[in-house]
Amino acid sequence: MEFDEIKRLTELSLTEKIEHAKSIITEGLERFSHDELYVAWTGGKDSTTMLWLYREACNAAGKPLSRTMFIDEGSVFEEIWELVEQVKNLWNVEVAVVKNTDVSAKAKKMGDLIRVADLNQRNRAEVANLEFNDEFFPFEPESFVGNHLMKTVAMNVFLEDHAVKALSTAIRWDEQQARVKEQTFSPRANPEHLRIHPILHFKERDIWDTIHAHKIPYCSLYSQGYRSLGAKGSTFKNSDIPAWEQDLENTPERAGRGQAKEQVMAKLRDLGYM
Amino acid sequence: MVVGLDGVPFSLLANLKKSGVIPKMGSIFDNGYFGKMAVSIPEISSVSWSSFMTGKQSGEHGIYGFIDLEPGTYNMFFPNYLDIKARTLWDEIAQNGKKSVVINMPATYPARAINGALISGFVAIDINKAVSPPALIPKLNDLGYRIDIDTAKARHDPELLFRDLDATLNGRQHAVDLLWQEFDWDLFIIVITGTDRLMHFLWTACEQKDHPYHQAFVDYFASLDDFIGRIYDRFMNADASDTDLKKIYMLSDHGFCKINKEVYLNRWLQENGYLKFQKNSPETIMDIGSGSKVFALDPSRIYINLKSKYPLGTVDRKDYDPLCRELKTGLENLKSDSGDPVVKKVYAKDELFHGPYLSAAPDLVVLSNPGYDLKGKVNSTEVFGRTDLEGMHTQDDAFFYSSTGAQIKSIFEAKEMICRSF
Repeated sequence: MEFDEIKRLTELSLTEKIEHAKSIITEGLERFSHDELYVAWTGGKDSTTMLWLYREACNAAGKPLSRTMFIDEGSVFEEIWELVEQVKNLWNVEVAVVKNTDVSAKAKKMGDLIRVADLNQRNRAEVANLEFNDEFFPFEPESFVGNHLMKTVAMNVFLEDHAVKALSTAIRWDEQQARVKEQTFSPRANPEHLRIHPILHFKERDIWDTIHAHKIPYCSLYSQGYRSLGAKGSTFKNSDIPAWEQDLENTPERAGRGQAKEQVMAKLRDLGYM
Repeated sequence: MVVGLDGVPFSLLANLKKSGVIPKMGSIFDNGYFGKMAVSIPEISSVSWSSFMTGKQSGEHGIYGFIDLEPGTYNMFFPNYLDIKARTLWDEIAQNGKKSVVINMPATYPARAINGALISGFVAIDINKAVSPPALIPKLNDLGYRIDIDTAKARHDPELLFRDLDATLNGRQHAVDLLWQEFDWDLFIIVITGTDRLMHFLWTACEQKDHPYHQAFVDYFASLDDFIGRIYDRFMNADASDTDLKKIYMLSDHGFCKINKEVYLNRWLQENGYLKFQKNSPETIMDIGSGSKVFALDPSRIYINLKSKYPLGTVDRKDYDPLCRELKTGLENLKSDSGDPVVKKVYAKDELFHGPYLSAAPDLVVLSNPGYDLKGKVNSTEVFGRTDLEGMHTQDDAFFYSSTGAQIKSIFEAKEMICRSF
């Protein structure tokens, strides 16, 4: 998408942003049947807001609420499970919990070593594709092999098994530099499907404004100061005040999951790196 | 107690000891073992200190540099404390209920809760994420604690550099005083990083006696000696149930020497037809162009652009070994303008690394001869160049001291030795 168009969309009023998101969702609902389209739901603020938008759009179109897919990568916060349970009951959401149990069953706890040879054929082939030649890998969702098997492979197997043609995810342009190039409708290969991104144009502040204005449930961790939720073992609080009261515009959303890259780069440059 | 002196060479300390600049360290070193130590390859703080704190090499702890690529992409990320996959010294002894205080250890940002207290070191950018428990933040702020000197300004302003070095060392002293009392610790670790900054920016002031900042350079080491003398006395005078438990270790994470020339590996790869960029002034390795076979990341890591691994990969598996051999020969034959061999040795990844994170390892790592500072910079027009930086790291001239007389030859052995005390 052209920079000017991205700028226009991210500067719309909240009402206009919500309408734009609903129009994307409605287009997806027209192109794909109820069986073909899934909403990727993590229990985080963005995908729960997106699910609410689906609920609004489905109601308006007189259609049943789209099905959701939840990836359990083996390290999910208890508070996330609570939110998922709450919303599931409140909105009558159909949730398919996706988990690479062939991998998770071979580890008792995070960090346990898993022998590649013990995995099923699909997982072994995936590990081989990564050019990972070691005998063992650690069971950690954020590690190289772990991330691939517990998230990507788990999801791909689900998409293949259910012949999913469209998957809606809640990525946002302002969340990460790398996402600026993302398109609203984005075709993917292996397995072939279409990604639908209805809330690319929402800023972090818009999400919280939508949540508060429309009383959308959110995970209690945000009240404790978390701003962006990943795996339990690798996500940290940004502050002790609720996410929406933090300086969203001037501090990095994903700092609890990484670092403010630019500042680090500047520091490294001073010492001759980069 | 462990005192880390970032970048301080064994040879420099031995000279300063002989010339009487560091009397307190001198007498400490006379009791126990004081010797030369080798460090990680690449010889940079994040890798070397991660190796110290885990007792493992990169294939096991997962840290290969300040910068790394997300798997299967050219997207850069900055590995941090949360990416260290092996257990640290303080996590290890916490299993026996032992408490640690860790101050300014590089590669421990963002801070996370430990049994005790931790203040992150380089590359920590926000004090609010650099301290655990967070209740210490206001106290440290009141004491004027600073994570680092203002490197951006100090690099070009020696007066400011020395003022900042003093202020930062003072802040560390206050942090030591505060945490010494607040925590009933079993292991106390303090790392001084001003040494590394000073030697990067003003190494010639160390070597040249008539340099306008030679005396200031010497004075900084003298005030460092006072600092160490104070904590040493405090440690030795403290009550302890068993004085045999009072053990002191000191070490650095690499040495230093004078830069003759910086060597831009990506430029060498370009000139030899291995690497192309999409634009004339590439900014990062993300600007790699199609048709590239090889690329480099800071400071000395070489990656084969494998078809199966990278989006713009061109190299087949079967061509991997011959290409590695070709690069090794090419680089080991690289000569400077004056005809000096630039490279000491090119290591294949299996020679340096093993373990669960081997797949993230560079395919080759280059170790240079002293004076030739390897860089992964992408936008140079020449293979050789200079900037205002004067000092570069060395791999085989770090130091190690133990009050027990126990000896080690490499930084990978330190953790186990220290753990044995607990």
